[in-house]
Amino acid sequence: MRLDLFLPFLRKPKKGTEPRRPGTLARAARSIFPATWFADLSTGKPGLIRRTLKRMGPTWLSAPVRRVIQSVCLIGFLILFFVVCWPYSARPVPETEAWPSHYADNLAQKEWLPAESFLVIDPLVSLSTAIAAHSWVWSLSCAAAILFACVFIPRGFCGYLCPLGTLIDLFDWSIGARFTRFRVKDEGWWVHIKYYTLLATMIAAFCGVLISGFVAAIPVITRGLLFTLSPLQTGFARGWHLVPPMNAGHFVSIGLFFAVLALGFLKPRFWCRYVCPSGAVFSLGNLFRVSERKVEDTCINCNKCVEICPFDAIKPDFTTRTTDCTLCQTCGGVCPTQAIKFVDRWDGVQLKVLNDPPTHETAIGRRGFLATGVGLASGVAAGLGITGVTRVWGANLDDPDAWRPVRPPGSVPEREFLQMCIRCGECFKACPNDVLHPIGFQQGLDGIWTPHVVADWAGCESSCNACGQVCPTGAIRGLPLAEKKVCRIGLAEVNLQTCLPHAGREACQLCVDECHHAGYHAIEFTRVGTEVDTDGQPIEDSGFLAPVVLADKCVGCGLCQTRCYGINVADKKLLSSSAIVIRAGEGKEDRLMSGSYQALRDEEARQRQAREPQLEMPNDDDGYLPDFLK
Amino acid sequence: MTRIACCVLLLAVSFADVASAQPAAKSSSKGGGTRAELDALINRLGKTPPDWFKGTPLNYPPTLDLTWPAQATGNWNNQKNVGQYLWDVVNPNPGRWKEGVKLMHHLLTLQKDDPEKRERIMLTLARMYHNLLEDYGRSAFWFRAAGVEKDPVEYAQSAVVLAECYWRLGFEDEARKLLQKIPSNLAHAKLLGDLGETDKAIQMAMEDPDSQGYSSLTAGDACRQAGRYDEALKYYQQVLAIPVPATNPPGRLVKNRSRADANVIAIQSFELSDPQKVPDGTYKSSSQGYEGPVEVAVTVKRGKIESVTISQHREKQFYSAMTDTPRKIVSKQSVKGIDTTRNATITSEAIVNATARALAAAQK
Repeated sequence: MRLDLFLPFLRKPKKGTEPRRPGTLARAARSIFPATWFADLSTGKPGLIRRTLKRMGPTWLSAPVRRVIQSVCLIGFLILFFVVCWPYSARPVPETEAWPSHYADNLAQKEWLPAESFLVIDPLVSLSTAIAAHSWVWSLSCAAAILFACVFIPRGFCGYLCPLGTLIDLFDWSIGARFTRFRVKDEGWWVHIKYYTLLATMIAAFCGVLISGFVAAIPVITRGLLFTLSPLQTGFARGWHLVPPMNAGHFVSIGLFFAVLALGFLKPRFWCRYVCPSGAVFSLGNLFRVSERKVEDTCINCNKCVEICPFDAIKPDFTTRTTDCTLCQTCGGVCPTQAIKFVDRWDGVQLKVLNDPPTHETAIGRRGFLATGVGLASGVAAGLGITGVTRVWGANLDDPDAWRPVRPPGSVPEREFLQMCIRCGECFKACPNDVLHPIGFQQGLDGIWTPHVVADWAGCESSCNACGQVCPTGAIRGLPLAEKKVCRIGLAEVNLQTCLPHAGREACQLCVDECHHAGYHAIEFTRVGTEVDTDGQPIEDSGFLAPVVLADKCVGCGLCQTRCYGINVADKKLLSSSAIVIRAGEGKEDRLMSGSYQALRDEEARQRQAREPQLEMPNDDDGYLPDFLK
Repeated sequence: MTRIACCVLLLAVSFADVASAQPAAKSSSKGGGTRAELDALINRLGKTPPDWFKGTPLNYPPTLDLTWPAQATGNWNNQKNVGQYLWDVVNPNPGRWKEGVKLMHHLLTLQKDDPEKRERIMLTLARMYHNLLEDYGRSAFWFRAAGVEKDPVEYAQSAVVLAECYWRLGFEDEARKLLQKIPSNLAHAKLLGDLGETDKAIQMAMEDPDSQGYSSLTAGDACRQAGRYDEALKYYQQVLAIPVPATNPPGRLVKNRSRADANVIAIQSFELSDPQKVPDGTYKSSSQGYEGPVEVAVTVKRGKIESVTISQHREKQFYSAMTDTPRKIVSKQSVKGIDTTRNATITSEAIVNATARALAAAQK
């Protein structure tokens, strides 16, 4: 088995020898495309393809397939993020009586590839959430698939697919390479940090605290883009007043993102080589690899492969550090003797001798043992420490008075939500009008970057179910629109002291109109302050029509609050806060792990009917016309 | 599903639309059919239940006192007293209108042996069919069953509504015949205005001007209906000129003033917003949108609307309203009859209103 994907080093054949025969694919390409594109094998003169690639750089020349796949993945990731998750291309369908579905349709139409594709193939995302929540997470199957694929292409995720890796490559090339003063030496205590990070996140997950989203590769880049470039996209495309406000959580996340990039000053792809816990999962997966890089005895010890390897995966004797190699095959293309091959693990043909030149590797000594011990201990300590901090400074779920955020529709129960939400930020990006904002530290460390509904800013659109569709872990369930429409995220409560008509200040029907327009019909009028004349007859137009929320119809979308805040607070400055507010909490929201919200509503309706006394129904014909008029 | 207009201006416009609505069923001759045809129509409609009747559940608070005594006792309680329940809960909520009518039918069955209650219930039913459901045939039926037509002097207010039903059903002559038997009152004057007898309507309305502005408002409405905007403005200004006591102003006067004010703005904005009368230039004005004022800049050149641009706004969800609505205004060269962008109705309407205001202000 050979898995060679590199472009072999071009060598002028020695006199009297036949030039090497190109492979099957290359021969096929040569028969289709003009000869000028290809190298002349007898003279060793490069063709157009090689000349172009050479101009693009040595890594492009040696492993063009890898670079192309990397580019495609990064561009694909950006398209999924900035185009597929951009809801504003949706347009309402004119004049239909049916429940509107334009946002949901728009997303479904654009999702030729699920928007969360890259998140679900980051194995740490699903592994840690499944462990933290002690439950099956649907994306585990995707993690299993990618881990299986990486048995054949060890750590191929890091070398080929990971958009964060590619972004780091770009950073290192454009900025990192210009500043060499921070460079560190090749070996050091840091080389195994990734395993300890992984250990810490897994221990925390085991204790029910999910912190892997802070450091897992795809959540880091998703959140990084969300908090840096996404506001620019909104600002330029739609208007700067639409950029949501930022809190401390935003700045922590932005800081983290830039710190990850800045590690490139220490060494190219420092993050990927030494720190990334998602990479560590693949490194451990490499133990089960079936293919690997091997070096034949034609090796001339030229050291070119060591110099170009982006992952520090080649030992001084030019053999492979198998847990670090990403099979990027860049080394294969620079090897002047074509001694490097990518073959099955058990291939033993013509291999070079080991430890020549000597690697100075020894069995684990006292120092190594101590270093490993300290590393493991700090990993355990970090995991337990973060768990402890979160316990003390967390969401306080058992305290009925603790702050309760309004979660997106379809969110699983709060405890499980905090354990399953990876804090990638995908739901914020897909949410039209930015109803969802990331929580700062209101829930301590527990809730940071988790989504909550800020109804002062915007209300949940009746035609949209995007947040659940893009959630990679199922913390927000992917509901069909019919289910989302009846799923309660909170309950609107009218403040009778401040609501303008209730307080007798002035007529206002913003919330009622808004609710009717959205199609919920959950707020109706009651007349308050009716004046009576001397005969006891009500005076026409006296008092005010004031809003009353029908609790069995309100789903807590928050459109009413948006309107009250927008007009009465922000614009007219009549109030200091919205007089109708969505509140979450026991009995006000539906938080199900599974099952139908529609069934829940039907059951409630049945119970209500059974509870309430049956109204006396007219028994003669249909009660329309009394006898005396027949 | 159309978004209910929120600002006063739009309310006023929609009132005008209702007021100018033409009779639903026009019969062949101008004055309508014969008396016998009218009777047959009303009897046929009135004796059959409307199609929604069976499917509408009987729904009312269990605390409601179904005996509905003539005089409610105790404090105002809309969960106990039928009249107060209708007033506070049924009337303001279109979703409850049909179940409210059903409740009335139920009460009529319960109270059929008490003549006083029977009459009160039938009059209420007639008004509900008229005011809420715009079902003029059944309204007329129940007014007649209560004896309104037999004594149009005693039931002067109800008789005017009955006459209106005749007119809406397409029997204008019968409506006029009935009106002649009814003494002067403001409702009478208003119906005369609707029937196109503007001068008579003004005369009747202003016979005995009241201190709360009803007379002038009615006269103004009649003028506006007839397209006599300058006169209408004059009458509305009269309402606005009535002094308001500083302490404890009467609610009816305050309401009438705000209606008059809204009508003045509506006339000035819509009826007088003709770009041909506007000198060249760029005019700015704003109107309440979804999240606050939407400001437009309207450029007029040689009597044509050259462009409408949104110069300032805070809207969050506007779909294509920001581009569509200005384009429609420019291509139509008018602010009338612009269809709004679906799901961004408030924003669209704000752009239309602001444009109209800018044009109207430019003429002054």
